[in-house]
Amino acid sequence: MSQLAAADPYDVTVKSNGLRRRRIVEKVFGLLAIGAAIFACFILIAVLTTLVFKGASSLNLDFFTKPRPLFGEKGGIADALVGSALIVGMAMIMAIPVAVLVAIYMSEYAGPKVARSLKIVLDVLNGVPAIVVGVFVFGILVVGHGQSAVYGAFALAILMLPMVSRATQEILEVVPRSLRDASFALGVTKWRTTWNIVLPAAIGGILTGVVIAVARVAGETAPLLFTTSIAASEISGDVSHALPTLPVTIFVFSESPDPGEQAAAWAAGLVLIAFVLVMNVLAKLFAGRKRRQLEGS
Amino acid sequence: MTSTTYEPPAAPESDLRRSGIRLGDLLFKGIAILAALAATGLLGLIAWKVLDLAWPAIQNFGLSFIWTEAWDPVTQDFGALIFIYGTVVTSLIALVIATPLSIAIALFLTEIAPRRLAAPIATMVELLAAIPSVVLGLWGILVFGPWVRDHLEPWIQATPLGALPVFSGDPSQAGILPAALVLTIMIIPITSAICRELFIRVPQDLKDGALALGSTRWEAIRGVVFTYTAPGIAAAVLLGLGRAFGEAIAVNQTIGNRNTIPTSWFEPGDSLGSKVASEYVGATSLQQASSILYLAAILMVISLATNVVAQFIVVRFERARRGV
Amino acid sequence: MKRILAAGLVVLAVVALAAFAGRTQSASAKPTAGSLVGTGATFPFPLISKWIPAVSSSLGISLTYTATGSGAGIAQITARTVDFGASDAPLTPDQLAACKGCVVIPWALAGMSAMYNLPGVSKRLVLNGPVLANIYLGNITTWNAAAIRALNPGVTLPATKITPAYRSDGSGSTYAWTDYLSAVSPQWKSKVGKGTSVNFPAGVGARGSAGVAGVVKSTEGAIGYADAAYAIQNKIQFALVKNRAGGNATPGIRGVTNALCEVPAKVTNLAQLKIVDPSAKCGKKAYPISTFTYVIVPTNSGDKAADLRKFVYWAVTAGQKFGPPLFFVPLPKAVNAFIYREIKKIQAGS
Repeated sequence: MSQLAAADPYDVTVKSNGLRRRRIVEKVFGLLAIGAAIFACFILIAVLTTLVFKGASSLNLDFFTKPRPLFGEKGGIADALVGSALIVGMAMIMAIPVAVLVAIYMSEYAGPKVARSLKIVLDVLNGVPAIVVGVFVFGILVVGHGQSAVYGAFALAILMLPMVSRATQEILEVVPRSLRDASFALGVTKWRTTWNIVLPAAIGGILTGVVIAVARVAGETAPLLFTTSIAASEISGDVSHALPTLPVTIFVFSESPDPGEQAAAWAAGLVLIAFVLVMNVLAKLFAGRKRRQLEGS
Repeated sequence: MTSTTYEPPAAPESDLRRSGIRLGDLLFKGIAILAALAATGLLGLIAWKVLDLAWPAIQNFGLSFIWTEAWDPVTQDFGALIFIYGTVVTSLIALVIATPLSIAIALFLTEIAPRRLAAPIATMVELLAAIPSVVLGLWGILVFGPWVRDHLEPWIQATPLGALPVFSGDPSQAGILPAALVLTIMIIPITSAICRELFIRVPQDLKDGALALGSTRWEAIRGVVFTYTAPGIAAAVLLGLGRAFGEAIAVNQTIGNRNTIPTSWFEPGDSLGSKVASEYVGATSLQQASSILYLAAILMVISLATNVVAQFIVVRFERARRGV
Repeated sequence: MKRILAAGLVVLAVVALAAFAGRTQSASAKPTAGSLVGTGATFPFPLISKWIPAVSSSLGISLTYTATGSGAGIAQITARTVDFGASDAPLTPDQLAACKGCVVIPWALAGMSAMYNLPGVSKRLVLNGPVLANIYLGNITTWNAAAIRALNPGVTLPATKITPAYRSDGSGSTYAWTDYLSAVSPQWKSKVGKGTSVNFPAGVGARGSAGVAGVVKSTEGAIGYADAAYAIQNKIQFALVKNRAGGNATPGIRGVTNALCEVPAKVTNLAQLKIVDPSAKCGKKAYPISTFTYVIVPTNSGDKAADLRKFVYWAVTAGQKFGPPLFFVPLPKAVNAFIYREIKKIQAGS
């Protein structure tokens, strides 16, 4: 019963050209999909292996103890490490409380219209390019005063705010209504309910959001380029002055012909990626815990 | 008959509660409102400051700045067209390459791959998203650029594509094409992650129904998954585009920094974000500084518009789906 | 969960404390009297790098200098985001006015090398002004062009494409380079002109002298401009440049010193310090692309004034001895009186 061209291609009881063609198309797209996935993995592996090989060869103790090299000298990234840690830390302190409070307002207090407008505000803020944020902080703080690590942290905090706020707001919405109602029924005030009951239930999701935001912001160069790029080649914790940072160091050294500076850039890139990796793993851990907590409650 | 209505004892702290703790509620709400106002104020402040810094150029050049092809600090003649071209073309090339790849990756992860394979590959794609743009730019300058110059661009010229004027000329390690390819690598993870979330949510019974009617897996995907998620995919694509528009650093490292609209995509050009990163700190006249801020303002508007359209599509999508 | 949070906070606190407490410096014999932050030209960066530890040990001033380009040096000091700026380009009248009372003091002097990457050609090439201008205009596109062959008889030149590299940031090196090209090429002067930022019609841009050196080193057939120290440090070949006297000059100490022949015996203003394209009088050794480089200090420097005076005075006297190994020529006596007069203008102000 194998008629060919005349048969209905969608009649699977009859083997026909049409069916064969459709099966071929299916296989082709299946292969394309596999090919695309392999391609993505390949790129990632290419970037990571280059980083690891070029970076690992310059990773030595010197690297983590010496400050950035001046012209024609050898050095490390110790000062940039300290600077990045301090600046990201300060950005977290500036952004997280405000972000969580905004999310609490949106989910616990605001009416639907206000909440929606705030959501739009946060989404727009999220879409402001990092370079524009850098120019903004430069124009509003650095001009007339000089650069400082605090200004750099402020620029990073602006980038973190919408990310953490969105994540917090989403997890607050998932916290069951019944939890709040039970608390109110027991006579607990609204603010204590939010602070002692709702927030701890949401903490996993909030931490996930924080960790993801930190990972994203630790590698941002543009906001720091105008606010904390003129820094001495020495390990310093003086946040009232500009401090060196890993992303800006990588940026400056990436165009250098000096193999020592290039090696420093690769190694700093490796450190950054390792940090981001660790953050991502942490985020998954927190997300898992959040799911278990909420399901358990 | 005695009525036994139970009266709960008056709560001992009831007076306290009525006077003191309402204050706590008010304070907390007040702080939360302040935070919300701060966030909104911040956005307004950013918009205002950028426009304020760009104002001398806006006044001087007006809207014609947007389509003026010039950037000459010596004659103080400035225009945005060169950089709008660079931003738009690099981002569109990245989009055209990244979108089918992202969809394919998302499909692979949700439909084709066995679960044990899908998880590590999904993690790998997420890690690609985690690479900071400056590190990708570093890789672009030192590894990818030379490879593009030595292998990819000559190969393109050997194919029929080489007849096109955009692929003419000598291969170069810095230019529109290398920058666009680095952007591609940047937006694939974003778009594919969103597509993956969308595809997972497609109801299994819709897919099963299609298969039961005799369609092949690909036809089921095309007919069910894509039609179901089309607006979401559009939004994902737009979000990736927005990210590509705003990327200044990696583009600055790989685009070659030339003030020109090149005929060939192998040649250097420049983009809005990249120009701001290059020249803002070194602008030595008010005209130049404000022109650079005018570029930043245009970039802000383009990014905003892309995000707004993406959000709009998402909202319509949600509404339509809830109606379904 | 709370324990993890607490642990994280403790770690953060420890890092913060450690960083605040431990401030290591590269060299400190005396307690730091003050600190100065400056930014600007990449051209003098090799020299300033040597000054930083020396200033710390002999003056007790902790110096921070990041090379961001002369344009940034001018812009940042005008915006008063730093204590001093550095630029190879003298300030225009508009920029001086915008700076609101700044002195511009020459503090170093060196030659701009024309570095190139042409493997397979071991002999150092000779180039001249018109050829360089035509390369940067995009008129000459391959190394075996007739004009280059004419300057280098007997050398087999490959047909490699020439990629001119230039500065994408505001740069005093660009100013000196384009000043020279404008002097030797009327087409360059009318089409492009000179400045810290110009509209280069051909080639690839990179940030900083290091960036230009990077492009040249990694691109076969590339040519770029940066001071001689960058070429030597990165082992990049540089060209001999034919001057007006017909000699093939190098950007070394002798070449730059000979270019000074037209500077008056007592300099009274900065316009007299323009030494690009010296006339034939300066002889066959005079390098035609030499430039002074300047420090820009506000006359009204508040509590930094004393340190700034000390630093600049040190730089133009004791600091000059660090120059020659890096191909910086010690400042000629002709500028001394001018410099000291300008240094005195740096005051604490009201």
